Amino acid sequence: MKRVCENWKEHFPEGKVSQEYFAEFETRAKNVGTEMFHVKTVTEGREIIAKIAEELNAKKVVAIPSAYVDASGALEQLKKQNIEVYTEAADIAEHVETADIGISTVEFGIAETGSVCYDGYSYESRVVSMLPPLHVVFLPASYVVAGIREGFEILSNVFHEGFTGFITGPSRTSDIERVLTIGVHGPSRFVIIAVDELPGGVN
Amino acid sequence: MESNQERNLRKEIEEKLNDEVLRGALSRFAEAYPIARAKAYENVEDLDGLRDKFRQMKIDTVANLEQIADKFETEATKRGVKVFRAKDGDALKKYLLDLCESKGVKRIAKSKSMATEEILLNHTLEDAGLHVKETDLGEWIIGIAGHRPSHMVMPAIHLSRQQCAEYFSQELHKEIPVDIPFMVQEARIELRQEFLQADMGITGANFGIAQNGAIGLVTNEGNARIVTTLPKIHVVVIGYEKLIPTIQDAAYIMSMLPRNATGQLMTSYMTLVDGVTPYMAKNAEGKWVEEEREVHYILLDNGRLKAAKDPMLKESFNCVRCASCLNVCPVYTVVGGHVFGHIYSGGIGAILTAFLNGMKDFEHINEMCIGCRKCVEICPGRINIPGLIDELRARAVKEHGLPFAAKVVFENVLANRKVFHTMLRMASIGQKPFQSGRVIRHLPLFLSGMAKDRSLPAIADTPFRDRMAKVAKKIDKPVKRVAFFAGCNIDFVFPETGEAIVKVLQDLNMEVVFPMDQSCCGKPVLGMGDRDTGKNIAKRNIEAFEKVDADVLIFGCPTCAETWHETYLSLFADEPAWLARAEKLAHKVQEFAQFVTPLYAAKGRLDKKNGATKVTYHDSCHMRRGLGIYKEQRQLLDAAKGYEFVEMKDADKCCGMAGAFGVKYTEISMPILKNKVDNIKNSGAEVIAVGCPACMMQIQGGLDKQAPNIRVKHVAEIMAENL
Repeated sequence: MKRVCENWKEHFPEGKVSQEYFAEFETRAKNVGTEMFHVKTVTEGREIIAKIAEELNAKKVVAIPSAYVDASGALEQLKKQNIEVYTEAADIAEHVETADIGISTVEFGIAETGSVCYDGYSYESRVVSMLPPLHVVFLPASYVVAGIREGFEILSNVFHEGFTGFITGPSRTSDIERVLTIGVHGPSRFVIIAVDELPGGVN
Repeated sequence: MESNQERNLRKEIEEKLNDEVLRGALSRFAEAYPIARAKAYENVEDLDGLRDKFRQMKIDTVANLEQIADKFETEATKRGVKVFRAKDGDALKKYLLDLCESKGVKRIAKSKSMATEEILLNHTLEDAGLHVKETDLGEWIIGIAGHRPSHMVMPAIHLSRQQCAEYFSQELHKEIPVDIPFMVQEARIELRQEFLQADMGITGANFGIAQNGAIGLVTNEGNARIVTTLPKIHVVVIGYEKLIPTIQDAAYIMSMLPRNATGQLMTSYMTLVDGVTPYMAKNAEGKWVEEEREVHYILLDNGRLKAAKDPMLKESFNCVRCASCLNVCPVYTVVGGHVFGHIYSGGIGAILTAFLNGMKDFEHINEMCIGCRKCVEICPGRINIPGLIDELRARAVKEHGLPFAAKVVFENVLANRKVFHTMLRMASIGQKPFQSGRVIRHLPLFLSGMAKDRSLPAIADTPFRDRMAKVAKKIDKPVKRVAFFAGCNIDFVFPETGEAIVKVLQDLNMEVVFPMDQSCCGKPVLGMGDRDTGKNIAKRNIEAFEKVDADVLIFGCPTCAETWHETYLSLFADEPAWLARAEKLAHKVQEFAQFVTPLYAAKGRLDKKNGATKVTYHDSCHMRRGLGIYKEQRQLLDAAKGYEFVEMKDADKCCGMAGAFGVKYTEISMPILKNKVDNIKNSGAEVIAVGCPACMMQIQGGLDKQAPNIRVKHVAEIMAENL
């Protein structure tokens, strides 16, 4: 799977990425309608996802495997709930349009704005974040920078080609009478599971 | 792309003024926007520093535009992008139509791009039989309606939910209820098919990064990133002004664009695309396989490269298209972007129109800028929008001349003080049948619209110049010799203000002289772009004031002060001898409050008083944003005996006079004035103090019709009461 950078963490500017920014990040993310879960261990993510899928009566999930997604055991749990789960590029391409949930992992958060930065070089990682009505992401809670400036500092280090960007809450519009309305073309729900634990192999 | 149709601006204005939906939407937005923006910047420590750095980055970029464009092209090409430089809309369209034909493209999904609007791309594509859909919700709606965008960020702000529902019903061939979330969901379903079936995606770009050839897209809906992801061909239409040198430079744009545009700290999506990326398609056997997307960048010139080399117009490259200049514009918020705009709306729209669409289209709309400079205060790139419009106006006049009637008046009347002043004296007699006290309440027949919601000022029976001898006192051992420049309004409409100014100055032991050969400062003709007549007037004034050899030149009108202090200098840039004379006097220019406040402070006269009469203060645009003077008047009023100073809402918002604008476009000026009068009333003040006689004229007229119990006074008059 193509990625803008195999290991973003290696390129974090020294002293500028820290859990100390998490509290502000959490507040700002909630302000824009992001559903935020802060957990100690990655396995807690499994329960959160399972619960969301159950409440939503989800039938189909598309997911991009990662150290976090794998270690959470969430996909196995969803299969146990008789939910179809797709993780291969071709399967995702086939099913993403009708999937209820997309699951992926993001690289870092920005406290100033409550944004997260994702690596979207591969087709499958992009569509998982764009097309289903609900998008869940894992984020290491200590991978947060203070501001937009620092966010672009990381991008300056890693972004040579491909596709990346920030996501800040759900898709929204105010084009009709300036009334804020959620969920136009992108997901109407955006969920962040921020994990304190750094499982082995997570970038 | 210059439009061929002659516009009937009067008719358009009338339509918009009667459009309740538009008026309601714009006035609610004008209320909400400044609050939302201020909140969004709460966690930005040094906004001015940020603006300065961004501005400098853009200035450096324009200075090296060719190298930066070359680098952008090289880096994008390295990553598999095909780059085409289009000199104009026709070249772009030919390239695109050829591309569609060679690749068998039938369906196109677009995300918002003003550059494609500018060249009316969709019409061409549709005429060629292609299926083209805008996917930004607002753009999609106005596409169905057949409208132009009325705002650069909120293209459908002029439509109500009811109107939108009708357009939805029309497009989707079913009854759509007036329910915004429902409509949005319907649009999601409808447009999802457009994304999935499109053979080509066309996007604009909010910025293009030379360092690595990437483009940035900023959206809330998420349509741009789908347009760049699903179709097998991605075409980016990007103007040269969007280029920035490095990835890090994008941080400036992303720190200000969302906050200034919509009051968001960040939009839902900021997407960076760089080079060829994979997409998935079904092969002949129906299996999904990964392929490489075809990516084209079309760099659009269409007048931009010429503007980049223009010493003044290159400033327009600092625009991030946040449209905040519209959101605070008193005229835009009354008439909207269909009147005040061509394709790009508002003041910045007028400037962009001049070099992207042609001077003819510019000439249609430039008069809508009243020069209040509210936009300059808020623009991320600190673009001097009214200044650039002035410059373009002057160029238009140089090229095409003034309208005949204006030319006759300017050259034969305003340039000749004696003729001008004789006419004003005659007017003072001629107006008698319509006059009621200091104002003209009714005008006959077709002129009556001018005096509908506002009384017009009457020309005084005795101008200030005839009163000076009576008010002038001999001062023993004067502190300074002060020459007073009255300006037309104080001289002929508000001579009492002139008397008050002289009294206050004399009370401070100043010797006041009034050079009789002074005339109009020239601003009205300069504002119309007639620099030759302006120069003539300036020279006569300079001669008049050189003769009296004063220590200080005092002004009771901020516009006249600024004209002497700034404009005369720029006028004589090519006449060094006159420039030196103008500079010598410019150094002595002092606005009244600016001059007397420190003297009052030194005399211990600035202690706060709580009197019986409530007074509030209106900031003139030229006083506050031109001269930067706004604390002084408040200090003086706070200390005025018998008064209690209270602030009013939007004290620094234009009153709608703006020189000749208030007379020529009375219909737009009146709603702006009404807001001002409402804010004055709501402050509870019995007296509204001003520092500018033009504002005084406008506000007096509005109060006379709408709140006759409230009196308007120049700050100097209030001070003179307490001598």
